[in-house]
Amino acid sequence: MAKAPARKPKKKVCVFCKEKISYVDYKDTNLLRKFISDRGKIRARRVTGNCTQHQRDVAVAVKNSREMALLPYTSTAR
Amino acid sequence: MRSYELMVILDADLEERAVTPLLEQFLNVIRNDGGKVEKIDTWGRRRLSYEIKKKSEGIYAVVDLAAEPATVKELDRQMNLNESVLRTKVLRPDQR
Repeated sequence: MAKAPARKPKKKVCVFCKEKISYVDYKDTNLLRKFISDRGKIRARRVTGNCTQHQRDVAVAVKNSREMALLPYTSTAR
Repeated sequence: MRSYELMVILDADLEERAVTPLLEQFLNVIRNDGGKVEKIDTWGRRRLSYEIKKKSEGIYAVVDLAAEPATVKELDRQMNLNESVLRTKVLRPDQR
């Protein structure tokens, strides 16, 4: 009987910790776009590999950005 | 005095040369009340991600300033009363 292959997830290092960025700017849409899906949803931490604090900072930045129409709340383009 | 970062979206129907005077007019609120305007960064026309007031374009401007809280509140109030201001956002960059 074949055992389910034990998946060894590669441990991602939070990009912000690595780059030593302390403030996630809501105006930097190119950076933030990496953390939203093509539907405009914020990517989960298990996808982005961010640490707790930086994931939260990213989420806040994305939300601020959305308020200023820099990022979409939803986008139908797939 | 506190430092603030203000972002405004202005109506894109506004003429390009009318933007600076309009901003200056608002920022006089700060200057007349003892505040300092440190930097004005006009991004220019930019597509909005979604329509605001049925408009799909806006003129973005980011202003760094230092002023008393009450002054900034008054500035924000006056901006929101103006028809050609689509949206504003005031943040304190030191608070994070």
